[in-house]
Amino acid sequence: MFRISVTVCGRGISKRLASSFSGEDALPSNLRIPSNLVDRARAERPPPPSDSSLPVLRRCDAAVPVHLSPVQTWVETLERRDSKQLGLVDLHPDVFAVPTRIDILHEVELWQRNFKRISRAHTKVRSEVRGGGKKPWRQKGSGKARHGSIRSPIWRGGGVSHGPRGPTSFYYMLPMRVRVQGLKIALSSKLAQDYLHVVDTLNIPTPDPQYLMDLIRYRHWGESVLIVDVGEELPENILQATESLKTVNVIPAIGLNVHSMLKHEVLVLTLEAVKFLENKLLWHDERFTLLYPFKLPYTDLP
Amino acid sequence: MSLSFIHRSAMLCRGFRASLNLYDHTTRIPNTTIWLRTLCSSVGEANTRILQSTEEYKFVERLIPPSRVPIPPKHDGPSPSGWTPPSEVPPALPYMIRRSRMHNVPVYTDLTHGSRKTTLVRKVEGDIWALEKDVKEYLQQLTGKDLPTQVNEVTMTLRVKGHFDTELKKWLVEKGF
Repeated sequence: MFRISVTVCGRGISKRLASSFSGEDALPSNLRIPSNLVDRARAERPPPPSDSSLPVLRRCDAAVPVHLSPVQTWVETLERRDSKQLGLVDLHPDVFAVPTRIDILHEVELWQRNFKRISRAHTKVRSEVRGGGKKPWRQKGSGKARHGSIRSPIWRGGGVSHGPRGPTSFYYMLPMRVRVQGLKIALSSKLAQDYLHVVDTLNIPTPDPQYLMDLIRYRHWGESVLIVDVGEELPENILQATESLKTVNVIPAIGLNVHSMLKHEVLVLTLEAVKFLENKLLWHDERFTLLYPFKLPYTDLP
Repeated sequence: MSLSFIHRSAMLCRGFRASLNLYDHTTRIPNTTIWLRTLCSSVGEANTRILQSTEEYKFVERLIPPSRVPIPPKHDGPSPSGWTPPSEVPPALPYMIRRSRMHNVPVYTDLTHGSRKTTLVRKVEGDIWALEKDVKEYLQQLTGKDLPTQVNEVTMTLRVKGHFDTELKKWLVEKGF
């Protein structure tokens, strides 16, 4: 173990020496990924040839701002393990190419973790501990320290003076637009880091989980996959296949959230899911402020 | 025939009242309905029909508000109120300043500590430093002073010391933003 620690220290020192010699080229130490976590094959997989004219299967429904242009990505299938790309899809830049604000992502992630938290830690205060109403011995003359009750906090078995008190709720709500911006930033980061894949439908030939794992390994997608579709009825095969898998999960599009996107490495959207998300997320950019809750009717809710 | 006419008018009255939701049971007990009820019961069950009509619902629907900010109508140049639409073609500058959701130029003034005046330009995309240079030049011509500015690249904003919202708005509108 000592030898291992020495070699680790040695590697660390050599890395620091290398960075000081090579100047600004080497990555800073907090951005360097250990070699066993880097998938070399993924970095070296060839992208589809850019000269092949693939049809654009979907244009943006909403108006794209004049100074921006839609981002594009390929549409794939899950039918066969080694099928080619079917076409291209236009993604709205205000949803899939927003500037990355890691602080907003952090805020939304913390909110998601904490707003549901109810801490049920509870301790008894000196008045709640059983007993301790009577003065243990007289004030003067017994030779002992003066006390008023046997359950004061300085006594063994006494109450806790500043402990947790009862179920405490950590509920708070971030503004709606901050949460929406968090979703947009997460989607944009996934696309920018090459971890977003668009698929035409979720129909797979077999309900075998091994087929999905093979497909993911073959296409070098990543370790964990989050598959998103619209609607309550998802195809039976994909539901059965992902039921037993821990790292591959299917959710409906209304269940998309920043924590799941950060937890899973790869995000797979269907074309309907892309349309749904763009519709819902872009509405927040052009809506009035709340007149009354959105559960009540408005003429043109998304 | 007179009976059927009374019946039809009573039905219309009842339908109209139901659609406008006049629930004045306590105040008004019109004798006509009682009379008509006895009339109907005397006539027979064949004539008692409840007419359901959803045509009057348009009076409710036109009261429900929209949720989206409408796109302003086309104006060539400034409108009578002074509002100017953004130009069709975005200006050929290294930065772009989008309009707010109410289609206004995003320049705001701030007053902190009771006497600290700042002007904030929001929603800047592209090269903010080029915008900062241009703003400093323009305000140098205007005031003759070199004003301190703060560029925040993360939030895409530019803060200038002093209240210059009207001047900066006019300047940005002239540029075509």
